[in-house]
Amino acid sequence: MLSLQHISKYYQAGGNKNYVINDISLDVDEGEFVSIMGPSGSGKSTLLNIIGMLDEPSEGYHYFVNEAVHQLKEKKRAALYKQYIGFVFQAYHLIDELTVYENIETPLIYQDVKGSERKAMVADMLDRFQIVGKKDLFPAQLSGGQQQLVGIARALIAKPKLILADEPTGNLNSKQGEEIMELFSKLNKEDGVTIIQVTHSEKNAEYGSRIINLLDGRIESSRKF
Amino acid sequence: MIRNYLKTAWRNLLQNKTTSLISIVGLAIGICCFLLLTTYLINELRYDRFNENAGRIVRLTYSYQSPDDVAATHTALTPTAPVPVFKQEIADVEDGVRIYNYTDGRPAAVEYGDKLFSESKMLVADQSFFNIFSFKFIKGNPANALVDPSSVVITASTAKKYFGDDDPIGKILKVNQTNNLMVSGVIEDVPAYSQIKFDLMGNYAIMPRSKNLKWDSANDYSYLLLKPGMPVAEVQKKIDAFVKNRFSGEGQTNHIWYTLEPLTRVHLHSDTADNLDPSGNITYIYILAVVAVILLVLACVNFLNLVTAKSAERAKEIGVRKVMGAQRIQLFIQFLTEAGIITLCSILLGVFLAYLCFPAFSTFCGQLVSFDTWRTSWLISGTVILFVLVTLLAGTYPSLYLSAFKPAATLKGKVSGYAGGNALRKSLVVFQFVVSVFFIISTIIAVNQLQYIQNLNTGMNRDQVMVLDIGGMPFNKIMAFKNELIQQPGVSGVTATYDSPVNVQGGYSINSVEDKNSDFSLSVTAVPVERSFVKTMGIKILQGRNLDLSDEQQVLTDDYEKRKYGFILNETAVKALGWKPQQAIGKRIGLNGRMGFIKAVVRDFNFTSLHEKITPIVIFPQYDWFGKLLVKTNGKNTANTIKQIQASWHTFYPDIPVNFHFLDEEFNEMYKNDQRTGDILKAFTIVTIFISCLGLFGLAVFSTKQRVKEIGIRKVLGAGVFNIVGLISADFLKLVIVAVIISSPLAWYAMSRWLQDFAYRVSIQWWVFASAAGMVVIIAFITVGYQSIRAALSNPVKSLRSE
Ligand SMILES: Nc1ncnc2c1ncn2[C@@H]1O[C@H](COP(=O)(O)OP(=O)(O)O)[C@@H](O)[C@H]1O
Ligand SMILES: [Mg+2]
Repeated sequence: MLSLQHISKYYQAGGNKNYVINDISLDVDEGEFVSIMGPSGSGKSTLLNIIGMLDEPSEGYHYFVNEAVHQLKEKKRAALYKQYIGFVFQAYHLIDELTVYENIETPLIYQDVKGSERKAMVADMLDRFQIVGKKDLFPAQLSGGQQQLVGIARALIAKPKLILADEPTGNLNSKQGEEIMELFSKLNKEDGVTIIQVTHSEKNAEYGSRIINLLDGRIESSRKF
Repeated sequence: MIRNYLKTAWRNLLQNKTTSLISIVGLAIGICCFLLLTTYLINELRYDRFNENAGRIVRLTYSYQSPDDVAATHTALTPTAPVPVFKQEIADVEDGVRIYNYTDGRPAAVEYGDKLFSESKMLVADQSFFNIFSFKFIKGNPANALVDPSSVVITASTAKKYFGDDDPIGKILKVNQTNNLMVSGVIEDVPAYSQIKFDLMGNYAIMPRSKNLKWDSANDYSYLLLKPGMPVAEVQKKIDAFVKNRFSGEGQTNHIWYTLEPLTRVHLHSDTADNLDPSGNITYIYILAVVAVILLVLACVNFLNLVTAKSAERAKEIGVRKVMGAQRIQLFIQFLTEAGIITLCSILLGVFLAYLCFPAFSTFCGQLVSFDTWRTSWLISGTVILFVLVTLLAGTYPSLYLSAFKPAATLKGKVSGYAGGNALRKSLVVFQFVVSVFFIISTIIAVNQLQYIQNLNTGMNRDQVMVLDIGGMPFNKIMAFKNELIQQPGVSGVTATYDSPVNVQGGYSINSVEDKNSDFSLSVTAVPVERSFVKTMGIKILQGRNLDLSDEQQVLTDDYEKRKYGFILNETAVKALGWKPQQAIGKRIGLNGRMGFIKAVVRDFNFTSLHEKITPIVIFPQYDWFGKLLVKTNGKNTANTIKQIQASWHTFYPDIPVNFHFLDEEFNEMYKNDQRTGDILKAFTIVTIFISCLGLFGLAVFSTKQRVKEIGIRKVLGAGVFNIVGLISADFLKLVIVAVIISSPLAWYAMSRWLQDFAYRVSIQWWVFASAAGMVVIIAFITVGYQSIRAALSNPVKSLRSE
């Protein structure tokens, strides 16, 4: 599904290059569930952002569903992640001015889905996550776990092939975290969605089919189950 | 999609109540001022254009220069001959009309039945008047309304005043007891944007001089109707040639010429004296247009500033939306929609404010302006254009700026709104305060100058002088009335003159001067007076003696040729004749044929506007025609004195309404335009300060919010309230001081130009700038101070925990 070849990312710091990602090559197939681990500052988020095309690598080649991302224009790139990628964030990143319903609906609006169709899809999602009763609340009125559910529902609404999750359970207690992980695992197995998540927790990492350990911008180890 | 934009925009507006309110109120005030000013400008620019022939009507002005004059005199007043002669002799002139201001300085008493009114706007014109100019007739026929010499055309309100609902046609109005004029037409009231304004229009034929065509003695306004398609320059050439030919030879010493001015240029571009209608000034029009735009921009700046300032708060939302697949253009439209909603609210509020302000603004600018000034289609398209323009002006930059945020950076919380666009925001605040300080300085200088004028010693004592209109009354009755008034307890002196002493107009020339060549000629101003004039007005005699009984008797002899005039000259006149005051006494001079001797030299006094330097003036006794009776009262119990004077007037002149005013009022009236400039400056100052402070307040609210954490930490580290207030205020005060530095030279330059127009003016002093700076710093500090004090007093633990 995606392929990174000799990807590096550095920041210029007083004349010398400060490598955050150092010559990483990585292939992810469709249907995989990858967990990325590593100490703080090792470049996990940077790597995920590069995969999600939110950030650009300084060097290297990046292919996504057979498109050479490093050659794409911004517009085409936006079209790609509209079509294939859903993001889940540690800080949820819901839009405070919109209700639960509207937050979930937003990606559909940007994908020009018709109103009636949107209604059905959002209703379906609310139902699936059992948050129908909360649809008119604003994010500030929800607990962290509920907010993250909304965040995931929003990421899933456009039926992405790939979910990128940066510490999705980082702000949640362990019980809430477990529920989210169960959900990911179900999505991966039943719907065949590819998932790449960053996590600190060994236990959560083990939901995945592959664990990659990062250290100082390099892949230290990679295990498949 | 658009519904979604509108929804988020609306919610955002409600969420940020303070900033939304500041944006809307600021913009609304800007829009209100913009509307008021543009309406005024439209009114000025459409002056006279309602005339169907506006494109081919020209006004004739008259210029002359005697050999001993330093400069030529240009006047809108013309002699009786040019119109009929040009019409006959110059083929390109289709028609022409002479107009005389029948009530110039002397209202007419108009009588119908038991109704008696004093009319101050009566003109008389040749019968072609209504064929040349387009006034709407309600009754009567423009083609023949003025054919009969004793006809009069009146306006609808005048008709209502005299005849109520009766048909005015054929009714007789008795004007000044002598002329019985028959109403031959009723027109709609003359629009305020016509240079020819009148309530009654009689026939020029009632003027005795209408029968003889003369090339001197200029009293009338002349307009020519050119043949269609004739360029003005062409006709001008022919008239120049004709005048040159007509006045060559036969010992002509004076240089005279006539100038054609297109009708539509008269109001704003003419600089001749004695205009029929006080003229506007194209420079003011440009300045006001610029001010209108500046005020609007100023208000947009607030909005722009607040939106970019708040960008940090929007950054996350933008990132999320981009990650959800929003394209930049979609976000751009979203933010533009928000700007559009704010603009729409502001326009609605601004239009409403303008609607409320129009009556006051009309009084303020001395013209009736309202939304009626606009054509409906213009108003609607104007509003739409304004909406689009303001939305783009206020919305484009923030929208571009916001929609360009990189999602990765914003989601990591890397965009600090305070850093982004900070330089721009600062420049905009400086810009706003440059404008404010400019207006503050200008206002201080203008107010100063106006006070200076009012308190300047003009060499004449205007205090407590009542001016009564006595134009056209026989002099012996005036003298009897004068003698009666002087007996009254509150009256300390009575005299009579032709012109009001604060505004003497008469143009004469001195010739036949002892010791000078026979062709010597000096143009001077001169005023016929009653003999106690100099004493009553407190004008100081430097040499010689005042006029006395013998001078009076001289000018009362019936034989004009034998009269020996006693002349009083001012210092400037004596100097122009090349004499010292003591040498002048007893010298023989002539004043337009009146022969006599210089009896006294008086100290210079201002007899026209202080815009002009003092020029030579001759005061001479002449009792044949007085225009004004000047009654000096002692200032005690003035109300009672006025009552007594009115009572005596009624016994002397039962048929004439009494018309009086105080000389001081008339003096101030002459500076009405300047006063208005001062008032307009004051109003703009308040508006700009208010708008700028709104912006500053908004930024202060925002920046203290941004710095809550910093303030918390500083407090924990031991900073006192005073330190914190200083910290926050200092940022803004720096900007204000930069504004003062930029603004001062600009204001200095502009006001120096304005002061150039006054022959008597204040010098601009450093304290003006210092006090403007002090004022704006205090205002800015009050605006920002509240916010910073609140921040400084807040509990640091709370603010740190919220992070
Ligand atoms: N804009 C930037 N400029 C300089 N250094 C950066 C920037 N963004 C991230 N870094 C550095 O990159 C490193 C990796 O960051 P990140 O990928 O967020 O780490 P992780 O998610 O593994 O904790 C960190 O050391 C961080 O300081
Ligand atoms: Mg991270």
